[in-house]
Amino acid sequence: MKQLWTLVVAMSLVAFPAYASEGHEEGGHGDEHGGHGEPKDKASESSEFILHHVADDTEFQFELPFVHLPAIHVAELFGAEPGQGLYLEREPGACHKPVEKSQEAFAGIFKFMNGCWDLRPTKAVLSMWIAMAFLALVLFLGRSRDQNGVPRGLFANLVETLLLFVRDEIAIANIGKEQGAKYTPYLATVFFFVMFTNYLGLIPGFFTATGVLGVTIALSVITFIMTQLAGIRSAGLVGYFAHLFGDVPVWMKPLMFLVEFLGLFTKPFALLVRLFANMLAGHMVLFFILSLIFVVNIGAAAVSIPLATGLYLLELFVAILQAYIFTLLTALFIGQGVALGHHHHAEGEDHAHH
Amino acid sequence: MNTLVLASSFTDVKPGLIIWTWITFIVVLLILRKVAWGPLLKSVDDREKNIVNAIESAKRERSEAEKLLTEQKTAIAQARQEAAEQVRKTQAELEKFREELMGKARKEADDLKAEARRTIDEERVKAIADIKGEAVRLSLQVAEKLLSERMDDAKHQALAQQFVTDLSKKPSA
Repeated sequence: MKQLWTLVVAMSLVAFPAYASEGHEEGGHGDEHGGHGEPKDKASESSEFILHHVADDTEFQFELPFVHLPAIHVAELFGAEPGQGLYLEREPGACHKPVEKSQEAFAGIFKFMNGCWDLRPTKAVLSMWIAMAFLALVLFLGRSRDQNGVPRGLFANLVETLLLFVRDEIAIANIGKEQGAKYTPYLATVFFFVMFTNYLGLIPGFFTATGVLGVTIALSVITFIMTQLAGIRSAGLVGYFAHLFGDVPVWMKPLMFLVEFLGLFTKPFALLVRLFANMLAGHMVLFFILSLIFVVNIGAAAVSIPLATGLYLLELFVAILQAYIFTLLTALFIGQGVALGHHHHAEGEDHAHH
Repeated sequence: MNTLVLASSFTDVKPGLIIWTWITFIVVLLILRKVAWGPLLKSVDDREKNIVNAIESAKRERSEAEKLLTEQKTAIAQARQEAAEQVRKTQAELEKFREELMGKARKEADDLKAEARRTIDEERVKAIADIKGEAVRLSLQVAEKLLSERMDDAKHQALAQQFVTDLSKKPSA
């Protein structure tokens, strides 16, 4: 745990100077939007900007203060019009059909069901790729070791410390010595994937892919599959289904099944909402506090900049904390699945796990 | 743009994004497992094994050294004890030998003394007997002379004197 804190402090020191520019960012864009559209009140203009910043999009614009860089049209590289490239359609015109008013909140799903299969990478996908490029760079820089295999240098120590943390404190602590080692590569990937995606979003100008529902849904589905596979592999198909009915009298079995079955989905659901909400809310609050400068008056900067700085430092902690929690809970669920196999061998252990 | 539409934009779930996340994650998982986690975890395992082995062999060597040290100490103590025992035994023997020697010498001296005393006693007895015999003989001679010769008082006196002188001379002769 001590190493984790050291890391967080170190990262805060590195990221702090970069943050200084973020305060101006909005000014540049606020003017931009105001200039092009019809006059609006500053409050709705700010919220529009913020919602635009945190939502996934087909294009990515690197946001710099006072400079307007051309947007990268990520999606258009894979198909500009419906029917081209990965922009698939079940029948021509399916993508031009507007979704109904009641379906607007989940427009993406309904459009997909209506036959508009937009599989083009978006801003979130590009962000993930950039984050993974950073991860690859850190791992590459962290490959130096002496002849005894002891890591040399900051990155090598950082990577190994985190990897061993995942192995010892997350995998082995929750799954067990033997099985835990087998799941370590998967859990380490989850941890580094989420952590790097979270941290990329904290570099001013970049986007937080983990603050998009689709990404956390995808990660949770993988966790869900891994959890169920762990259970089936450990207890066998019969034991796995038997567990869903629990050790209760026969008349209670249907009820138990309902509870256990719902439990299968609520666990990963809580996981995906927690990560998504944490990453989204942190960024939104940060921006709202800063936007007070433009909405109220410039004097608000005296309050909002220190507040936002503190919040940013908190976000640096939350980024690794959420990666830790996501990985920890994944390990916990896998551990529960692995424990299913011990039910038949040791009934006493059964109660200890539930 | 409508704020409501924008507000709903972050609850929007795009199936395409889910699929791309899966692809990205699985590719990253496969690559990192082969290139990063595998070798890293293996090197850590090897290192841990090496450390455990080193600690174990150090422990073993230490216990061996301790055993050797104990043996050495025991051997030294034993040797010391033996040496002390030897010295003690030698001293005792020496003492005994001295006692014996002294006893023997004393006995010899005593024997010699007793022998000398016996010889002296014998000589004395013999001398006394001799003197007694001589005295008898002299008395007889004196008596003889007195009987055969008539002498005046001066002559008696000189004769007696002569007799005594002779008497004192006689045993030494």
